[in-house]
Amino acid sequence: MEYLSTIGILIAIYVILAASYNLVIGYGGLATVAHPIFFAIGAYVSGLLAIHTSLPPPVTVLVGAACAMLASLLLAASALRVSGDYLLIASLGFQLGLLQLIKNLEFTGGPGGLGGIPATIVGPARTPAYLVIAALLAIATVFAIRALVRGPYGRAITAMRDEELAFTALGRNAMSMKLVIFAIGCGIAGVAGGLYAFYFQYVSPDQFEVLQSAAILTMVVLGGMGTAFGPVVGAVLLLAIPQAITFLQLPPSIMAPMQGIIFTVLVLVFLFLRPAGIMGHAGRRRRTAGLT
Amino acid sequence: MLDPIILAQILWTGIATSAPYVLLTAGFALTLKVTSLWNFAQAGLMAIAFYAMFFCLNVLAWPVFAAIGAAVVLTGAAALAVEVWGLQVLRQRRSGNLTFFIFTLILSEFVIYVITLLFGTEPQTLFKSILSPVAIIGNIAVSDWDKLAVATAAAGLAALWLFMTRTREGQFLVAVADNAKLAELYGISAQRAYRVVAVIAALFIVGAMYLVGSHGGIVPNTPMELVLTAVIATLLGGIGRVFAAAAAAVVLALIQSFSILLIASRWQNLLLYGFLFAAILLFPRGVRVPRLRLAGARR
Repeated sequence: MEYLSTIGILIAIYVILAASYNLVIGYGGLATVAHPIFFAIGAYVSGLLAIHTSLPPPVTVLVGAACAMLASLLLAASALRVSGDYLLIASLGFQLGLLQLIKNLEFTGGPGGLGGIPATIVGPARTPAYLVIAALLAIATVFAIRALVRGPYGRAITAMRDEELAFTALGRNAMSMKLVIFAIGCGIAGVAGGLYAFYFQYVSPDQFEVLQSAAILTMVVLGGMGTAFGPVVGAVLLLAIPQAITFLQLPPSIMAPMQGIIFTVLVLVFLFLRPAGIMGHAGRRRRTAGLT
Repeated sequence: MLDPIILAQILWTGIATSAPYVLLTAGFALTLKVTSLWNFAQAGLMAIAFYAMFFCLNVLAWPVFAAIGAAVVLTGAAALAVEVWGLQVLRQRRSGNLTFFIFTLILSEFVIYVITLLFGTEPQTLFKSILSPVAIIGNIAVSDWDKLAVATAAAGLAALWLFMTRTREGQFLVAVADNAKLAELYGISAQRAYRVVAVIAALFIVGAMYLVGSHGGIVPNTPMELVLTAVIATLLGGIGRVFAAAAAAVVLALIQSFSILLIASRWQNLLLYGFLFAAILLFPRGVRVPRLRLAGARR
């Protein structure tokens, strides 16, 4: 039961991550792959504050999210000058560079990771309580983003994504809108990071590498980019199915690559059989960020 | 004051170390030039090339040339399979950049997971010893590996230059790179060009992985780092400029080598990613060196 609850928490965290990434890439049309680094910033800042200060956990999570937002503005202000492939590669460089920094700094725990993050909830109720908190936050994130993109601001976002030139010609500031979308999406990823740090009490730089970028991107794409519930479906599917072999009790040296193989095969199969995503449809897919 | 001999040694070692990166970058940049794709699947091909040679040499105890031949066949076949059953299908669907990015990246990860399952995560080398006999030439230590690496990279680039400029097939590649639709109007098959490029890249990858694997340990994840170096060099050299990208790979290796005089070696990768970020923001079309003009040459 404990194991299933932990998987549930992980799924909820990834729903938050995938939904926030969907806001950036699916609705905003900003093709970056650096989302895991904002997840990492949220996790590390919350974890470090929890270890070294007596701030209440929600405050440390919010500070982590604020730091992720600030970092996102740093990337966006410089990298949004370029677009398409260049933005993709620039964001990759930003992510790997910051990870390298985290690996080399002593106070972050270096390549060994940051451990000893205090447990905020103790006792048998810990996992169920985290499951409820994570699930509520995931639901709140999905519906808040849905409300945002369905409102007048969301229509402006769609207009900016689909016809930036016309959008600018109407006197709207596309750059400021991109910055806002980017900051909101990355701030939410920071919240997911804080949640992760407090539940697992350990974070390591390896958890935020390129594979993580591919994983979150895949959740969004397979679920349906630019759809409200697509990332939810993607996260559930890609996290739950590889876990099925856990019950085979294989040794870790076989289990980890086997789960990776299942994950990558699922992605490849869906990419060719259902390129618009499970929740996506042909009409919408042509309007999303360079994806069909 | 730094000893000139130490500087010369760092320079030579940097040049020799850059050789595999030069080959990988040339393959990556050529693929990007002709197919317009950032082909991250080349990381998977690098893993296939290395572990094929490792298996043939250490498990089957084949001679070196047979192992290299097997790696060429296997990597070339894998590159063609990716092109025919993967990239070509996505092109026919008019898929966007992100789809290609996901496909090539995930395919590499799939290969890496399969290799991890088969060979584990311990660092492996092609030969039991990676020590290479050293000769002192003008107070500089030059190993046999250094000579092999520099000769392989130089021969690879020269062969590519001759192929691109002196053969019809090579000129077809340039035509497809310039304008694939126009080239097809003139009867040049773009699909054939993409397949030729896949095979050429596979050859360069096998050469590079032989050099890397005979000089140090490789884990299944190493190719992902190698492909990123090729990406950075390609950006610095300028998209579409294969030989400039290869030169940029040498410059990057030299900067990393000389950086040990100023910063700790653990920060070298950060330097590399800093270059990637700066290259995109400051030189999105690559660094262009102004041509020297002789005084009075043009009147």
